[in-house]
Amino acid sequence: MNKNNSKYKAEHSLSDLPHESAVKHVTGESIYINDINLNDHLLIGKVVYSKHAHANIRACDLSKVRALQGVHTVLDYNDIPGENQMGPVVHDELCLAEQKVTFIGQAIFLIAAENEEIAIQAEKLINIEYEPLKAIPDIEAAIKTDALIAPPRKIECGNVENALKKTEHCLKGKLISGAQEHWYLETQSCLAIPGEGKEMNIFSSTQHPSETQSIISQVLGVQKNEVVVEIRRMGGAFGGKETQGNHYAAWSALLANATRRPVKIHLKREEDQIMTGKRHRCLSKYEVGFNNKGIINALKIDLNIDAGAATDLTLAILERALFHVDNAYFIPNMLVIGKAWKTNLPPNTAFRGFGGPQAIALIENIIDRIARFLKKDTIDIRYKNFYKNDTNNITHYGQLIKNNRLFKLYENLTKSSDYFNRRKEINKFNFENEFYKKGLALTPVKFGISFTTSFLNQAGALVNIYQDGTVLVNHGGVEMGQGLHTKMQYVASAELGISPEFIKVNATNTSKVPNTSATAASSGSDLNGMAVKNAIEKLKSRIAQVVIEEFNKTYSENPSEIKNLEFNNNYILDKKYPGRKIPFKQIIQQAYLKRVSLSATGFYKTPGIYYDKDKGKGNPFHYYAFGMAVSEIIIDTLTGQHKIIRTDILHDVGDSINKTLDKGQIEGGFIQGVGWCTTEDIKYDENGNLLNHSPDTYKIPTIRDIPEDFKVELLEGVPNPNTIRKSKAVGEPPFMLAFSVWLAIKDAISAVGNHEIEPEFSLPATNEIILQSIEKIKKKFF
Amino acid sequence: MILNSKLHKSIIRFILDGKIKEIDFSKTTELRPTTTVLNYLRSLPDHKGVKEGCAEGDCGACTVVLGELNENNKLSYKTITSCLVFLPMIHGKQLITVENLVDRNNKKVLLHPVQHALVKSNGSQCGYCTPGIIMSLFALYKNHNNPTREIIEDALTGNLCRCTGYQPIINAAQKACTNNGIDHFTEKEPEIVELLKQINKEEKTISIITETQKYFKPRLLSEALVLKRQYPNALIINGASEIALKQTKKYELLKEIIDLSDVDELKIFKENDKEFIIGTGLSLEKIKANVKDKLPAFYDLLKVFASLQIRNIATLGGNIASASPIGDTLPLLFAYKAKLKIICSDNERSLYITDFIKGYRLTDLKPDEIIKSVIIHRPDKKEIIKYYKVSKRKDLDISTLSAGFRLFLDKDKNIKEIILAYGGMAAFTKRACKTEKFLLNKKWQRHYIEKAMEILYREYEPISDARAFAESRRIAAKNLLLKLYSETSH
Repeated sequence: MNKNNSKYKAEHSLSDLPHESAVKHVTGESIYINDINLNDHLLIGKVVYSKHAHANIRACDLSKVRALQGVHTVLDYNDIPGENQMGPVVHDELCLAEQKVTFIGQAIFLIAAENEEIAIQAEKLINIEYEPLKAIPDIEAAIKTDALIAPPRKIECGNVENALKKTEHCLKGKLISGAQEHWYLETQSCLAIPGEGKEMNIFSSTQHPSETQSIISQVLGVQKNEVVVEIRRMGGAFGGKETQGNHYAAWSALLANATRRPVKIHLKREEDQIMTGKRHRCLSKYEVGFNNKGIINALKIDLNIDAGAATDLTLAILERALFHVDNAYFIPNMLVIGKAWKTNLPPNTAFRGFGGPQAIALIENIIDRIARFLKKDTIDIRYKNFYKNDTNNITHYGQLIKNNRLFKLYENLTKSSDYFNRRKEINKFNFENEFYKKGLALTPVKFGISFTTSFLNQAGALVNIYQDGTVLVNHGGVEMGQGLHTKMQYVASAELGISPEFIKVNATNTSKVPNTSATAASSGSDLNGMAVKNAIEKLKSRIAQVVIEEFNKTYSENPSEIKNLEFNNNYILDKKYPGRKIPFKQIIQQAYLKRVSLSATGFYKTPGIYYDKDKGKGNPFHYYAFGMAVSEIIIDTLTGQHKIIRTDILHDVGDSINKTLDKGQIEGGFIQGVGWCTTEDIKYDENGNLLNHSPDTYKIPTIRDIPEDFKVELLEGVPNPNTIRKSKAVGEPPFMLAFSVWLAIKDAISAVGNHEIEPEFSLPATNEIILQSIEKIKKKFF
Repeated sequence: MILNSKLHKSIIRFILDGKIKEIDFSKTTELRPTTTVLNYLRSLPDHKGVKEGCAEGDCGACTVVLGELNENNKLSYKTITSCLVFLPMIHGKQLITVENLVDRNNKKVLLHPVQHALVKSNGSQCGYCTPGIIMSLFALYKNHNNPTREIIEDALTGNLCRCTGYQPIINAAQKACTNNGIDHFTEKEPEIVELLKQINKEEKTISIITETQKYFKPRLLSEALVLKRQYPNALIINGASEIALKQTKKYELLKEIIDLSDVDELKIFKENDKEFIIGTGLSLEKIKANVKDKLPAFYDLLKVFASLQIRNIATLGGNIASASPIGDTLPLLFAYKAKLKIICSDNERSLYITDFIKGYRLTDLKPDEIIKSVIIHRPDKKEIIKYYKVSKRKDLDISTLSAGFRLFLDKDKNIKEIILAYGGMAAFTKRACKTEKFLLNKKWQRHYIEKAMEILYREYEPISDARAFAESRRIAAKNLLLKLYSETSH
C-alpha cells in the first residue's frame, strides 16, 4: 500500500505532508480529463460559437457539414431533449443560442466528429448569416442605455450625507479595474460517456460537480439520479470552473446522448479565452470625508461591475464586493451602492476573491490618495483607520469583528520588513535618481469567510473503512491544486489516529456524496474538513464500542470506559490504563466480524450565519482571515517597466493544517494578484472582440516577475475557534496582498512629481499606464 | 536535380524510451510530416505526461528535452516546446519525456533528483504545468551545476505556472542541481551515443512526400538550394517557431516545406579582426553564448528574447526573413549596419539589412534564395551600440516597441554618426531619419536631446493594438532616446 497510490515514492516527514499528488505530478502520471485512455469509440466535440457580440441569426446552412465524412452529429437548440437553459442561479443563459446571439463566444451549434481535424474542418463548413445589432461593449455604454442586469444593491450605515457635509476634507474620484482571464493551465474539459438507458457518466473539470449534474439533468431532461459526475483533479480553476465548467459538461453530454458514443470537449487555449467569462471589470465612483489626521468619517461609493450577457454568479460577486469596500478600516458613515450592468460580452464569473479584489483596490487607493493629500505616509493613514478591538469594530453591514489580527500583523510586519528605515532610504534614492524611482507600500487584507449565500455553507462526506484497516475518504470538495485532498487526508489521519498512508482521498463523485456546494469561497477545507470529521466521529464511536467489548473480555473487573479511549499512532488505547491497547487494523477486522458498519456519512453546516439582503444587515461570515504585505518596487520612468525588489507577507491562517500548502496558496495567490495588478491587460474592441485571446498578447507572470526577495510567513499562535483543527481558509485572501505592489508602483510614479501631484492611476498598472501617468505628472510639474 | 527513388526517403528515426523509433510516413495515415512532437507523444498510450497548454510555445507545458550529438561525440541536452516542433525535426536525436526521468534500472524505482526536489519544495499544485517544469529542470540539471538565480530563471521563463508563484520551483532548482548533472542518463549515455551515430550515419536528404504534403530535410546547402529552385513556394523552416503557428493556430495545411535544421553549413559563427559572420541556421541560444562578451547589445537582446525553449530552436534567419514589424533583432541589425549574404543555386550576393526589408513582412528575398549568413562589422570601441525593448511583461513577450541605436561621438562630444532604428513603431523596422538628421553634428547634450525627443514623438504614426496604445508607443519611443543619453553622458 502506498499513500500516493503511485508507482514511485518520495520520502517526506509526516508532519508536513507534501501534496498528495506531488509524485504523480512530477512523473507525469497524474491523469486529467484529456488524458483518460479510451478505446477507439471516442468522438471529439466542437462548439461552434457566435462571431458577433449582438446579432440576429438570419439563416444557417448545415447541409455541407452534415455531409462531411466523419461528422457524427451536428446539434442546435432544437435538438436539446430537456430545457435549453444553463444559468446556474438565474435562468437567463441559454445552453445553445436560438434566434439571437448576445456575445462573441456564445455557443450556437455542437459538432461531434471522429477526430479533431474533422471537427475543425466541419466548423469551417458552417455558414451562419447574422444581422448585426448594436452591441454594448463596456460598462460606460451600459450605463448610458440603463442596462442593469438586476436592481441595484445597497448597504448603509450611519448618515453619510450629513457626515460629508460636516467633514474637514472631502475628495471625489473614480477608479477603473480591469478584467482578468483565469488562465488555468488545463483548459475547460469534459468527457461524457453514455451508459445504459438514460445513464450519463461525466468526467468534468468542474469546481461544482453537483451543479454540473443538475445542469446536465436539466438539458438532457433526465432525473438527476441518472447522471454521475466525477472529477479526480483539475489543472487549475481559480473560480473559472465554478459555473462555467458546467457548460462544457452540458455540451459534451448532449453530444454523447445524441451519438451514444463517448464525447470529449477539450478547448483550445484561444477558444477558452474567447468563450469563457472573466473577473468583472469594475468602475467605481467615490466621495470620502476625513479629518486633518486622516481619519475617515464618511464614504460614499457607487460601484459598477460588468456582468456580461448573463447573470452567472454576478449578484453574489457584487454582494461580496459591497461587503469588502471597508477592507480593514472602520468607517462610521457609509453608503455603498452596487450595480451590475449587462453588456455584450461573455458572462463574467467567479475568480479568486469574488468581487473582494475590486472593492479592496478601491478603498486602498482612496487611502493612498488621502495620504498624498495630507502629505503623510500611507501607512500612517491605514494604521489610524484600522478596525479596533473593543470599539470601532462593527462593519457597515453590522457584523462584529472578533479576533482582530490587524495590529498584531502590523507590529510584526513593520518590524520584520524594516518598513520605516526603508521608507527613508527610498526617499533618498528617489531624490538622487532622475530616471529610476522606487516605491514602497504596506497593504492589509481582511476577508470574510463563508459563502455569502448562506444555504451553500454545507458539506457532506462518506468515509469507508475496509477490512484491511485502510480508509477511503469521499467528500464534496474538489482538488484543483490547492491541496484540499492532502488536508482532508491529514484531517482523517489526525481524527482517526492512524498514519496518512492508510488513508486515500477518492476522486470527487456525485454518487458518493450528493448535493454538495462548489469548492469555492476559500471554504473547501472548512466545510469538508468538518464533514469528514463528523463521519469519522460516527465511525469512532462504533469502533470504540468494539474496543470496549474486546478490552473488557480481559479486564472485566476494571472495565474500560469509552470516554477514556484514545485513537493514536495506529492504536486505540485506554488513557486510564495505558497498557490496554489494540492496533487499529486488528479492531477493524473484529468490527467486521461483529457486523459493525464501517462506513459513515458526515455532514456540516456553518453555524450562526445569516444576512438580510433588504436591510443590508447581518452576519454573513463565520470569521475573517487577515493578512498584510509590504512591497518595494522600482520603475524605469522612461519605459514604464517595473521590478519587484522585495515583498514581505505575514498572513493569518489560524493553526495551519499544512504549512507548506498554506504558504503555497499565499505565494501563488499573491503572484496571481500581481498579474492582475500589472501585466494582465484585457482589451475588447468596440464590437466586443477580445483582443488578448492568447498568451501571445495576454501576459500572466513568469518566473522573472516574482519579487527578487520574497518572504512569506504565517502568523503564529493564533488558533481560530470553531473551525476544523482551528485553521483558517487561505485560498482567496492572499490575492489581495498584491495591492502592496500596485500601490508601491503608484508611490514610485508619485515620486516623479515629488508626491505633490495625485497620479492618474488604474488597474492594471501596465507599463503603458505607468508611462502615461508619468508623462502627465511631468507636464504639470516641470 | 530531380527527386529519384534513391533520394526519396520518407523514414525518420529517433530515440524514444532508450530505443530507436522509426516512422515511415509512407506507411502511416495517422502521422504527417508536420505532426508535432506534442501530438505524436500524446497519441501514444504511455506519453500523456506531456501537456498542451497553448499550442504556440508560450506556456511550456509541452516542454520535452532533446539529446543531441555534439562536436565531441557527447550528448547535449536542450529543452524545446514540443507543440511547435515537427516530427522530422527530431530525426537523429534522442527525445526525452517526463516519463523517462524515473530511474527504473535499479531494483528500487527512484525519482530523478529534480523530481524529488520539486516534490519536497511543494513545487506543484494543480500539476498541469509540472511535466514541462520538470523537463526544464532536467535540462538545467544536466547543463549547470549550482546555477545562479539568473540561470535558473532563464531556464524556466518559458514555463508558465498559474498556481505556485514560482518560488518553490526556484528552491527546487537550487536544491537539485548540485551533482554535476550526474544521473541515470549519464550511465546510458555511451549506449545512446552509439545509437545516434548509427542513425546519423546516413547523410541523405529526407524527402517525405505524401498525398497532401512535401517535406524536405537536406543535409547540404547545395541540396537545399536545388530544392528551393525546384519548389520556389516551399516554406523555409529551421526551428519553425513562427511557421508552425500557421498550423497549430490557424489550422493551415503546410503543403511544401524545406527544413534547414540539418544543414551544418548554416550553423557557423566566425570572427576576424573586422567582422562577425553568423550563420542564419545557428540557434539564437548558441548565438547568445557566442556574443556574450563580444557584442553586448546583441547579448542584451537575446537575454529577453522569448524563452530558452524557443531560443533553442529559433534562428536568426527566421527572425530576419519573417520581416515582422516587431521582430526583435531587426532594429539592432540596423544599428550594426549588418549585411546579409544571400545565396541561390548559381549566385551569391550581399546587401545591407536596411535594403533587405522592403515593407510589412516584405523582403528582397527571391523565391529561389536563402539567407546564408549575417555579417556584423566589429564595432569600434568608440562606437556606442545599444538595444532597448519595451514590453508589457519583461520576458517572453513580444515588443511593444524595440530600438537599436548606434552613436559615434567625437572627442568634443559632437554627434558624428547616429542611427535610431525602431521596431513596433511602423509597419516595418524603420529609422527615425528626421530625428537623426536633427541630431547629426549637434553636441550630445540634454538640451538637444529634449528637442530631438519632440521631433521623435511626431516622427512615427504607430498603431494601437492588443499590446499597447499608439500614445504610449510614442512616449516610450522618445524616452528611449533620453535613456540612451542617460546611459552615455557620464
